[in-house]
Amino acid sequence: MIGCEDIDELRAFGRPLDAEAEAHVRACARCRELSPALGAVSAALAASSAPGVPAGLTARVMAAAGPLLAANAARATRWRLARALAAGLAPLPAILVLDFWLVRAGYDLLTRFLPDALSLYVVANWVGFLALLLGLTYGAIPFLAARQGPALHPRSA
Amino acid sequence: MEADETLMVAVAAGDGAALAELCRRWEQPLFRLLARQTGGRDVDDLHQETWLRVVRAAGRFTRGRPFRPWLFQIAINCCRDWARRRRVDPLEQTAELQTEPAAGGTARIDAALDAERLLAALPPAQREAVVLRYYHDLPEDEVAEILDCPRGTVKSRLHQAIARLVSVVRGGGKAVPARGARV
Repeated sequence: MIGCEDIDELRAFGRPLDAEAEAHVRACARCRELSPALGAVSAALAASSAPGVPAGLTARVMAAAGPLLAANAARATRWRLARALAAGLAPLPAILVLDFWLVRAGYDLLTRFLPDALSLYVVANWVGFLALLLGLTYGAIPFLAARQGPALHPRSA
Repeated sequence: MEADETLMVAVAAGDGAALAELCRRWEQPLFRLLARQTGGRDVDDLHQETWLRVVRAAGRFTRGRPFRPWLFQIAINCCRDWARRRRVDPLEQTAELQTEPAAGGTARIDAALDAERLLAALPPAQREAVVLRYYHDLPEDEVAEILDCPRGTVKSRLHQAIARLVSVVRGGGKAVPARGARV
């Protein structure tokens, strides 16, 4: 079921009418009466040439967008860093508990064969080594997050 | 070729090459939309302002959302802000058109009219609907998304716009007859 206004739109915009619309126009005095005016509207709209695009528009945009892109990059880096730190810190309590349990079990084992002082020395070295590994791991997170960069796809600027 | 939406994610991360690629892809349609909305005034500045807003809002671009309606929505908002700043009143232009003598009938007026003057005769909301629907051939649903209104409102604006255009073509002296009975 098509109405007068739908047909007006089709005719004003120069769209083809189907059989039902053609039959409507033939039967409807209002639509017949509007035909010349709608034809004029259609012709005027269709005669409009597309506005020409001046050269250098993209270059102008790129020049103006530089600071905004830099701000976006900085924001993205902060966001990546925050996510990386969150992901890295989440398992830290479990790692510490596990390390504590291993160190304690190791100390208990060592004291069966070695003097207490020597066992303590060995375990203290082990703890120092584990702390160094943890420090290096977490210290690398900001560095790696910053180096990951915004380039999701290799593209020359 | 990467999708526009993928490039937008890169723009949000500060990738200038992605922005340049988007600009190249959308330069023509965007420029034409702006030119038709403003009657060709300040189009270069509005084009630049639109892209700057795109870059600023890139972080809020939702993955999976189509890029074109988002871009055109920003462009339309730029035009609205521009009109507010300039206090452009298209109704003045309409009045000017409608007071022209209708002597000679439609054929004579037809020769004198051009699309720019016709579009200038429309209120901004109706002009937006006509430009998007006719010149950009967008479906009504997408026009509704860009204009942030229901589809029915888009249809209503188009019908009002056509009635107004017919009235202008006729020299403003004769109103479009009321909608007839549906067949």
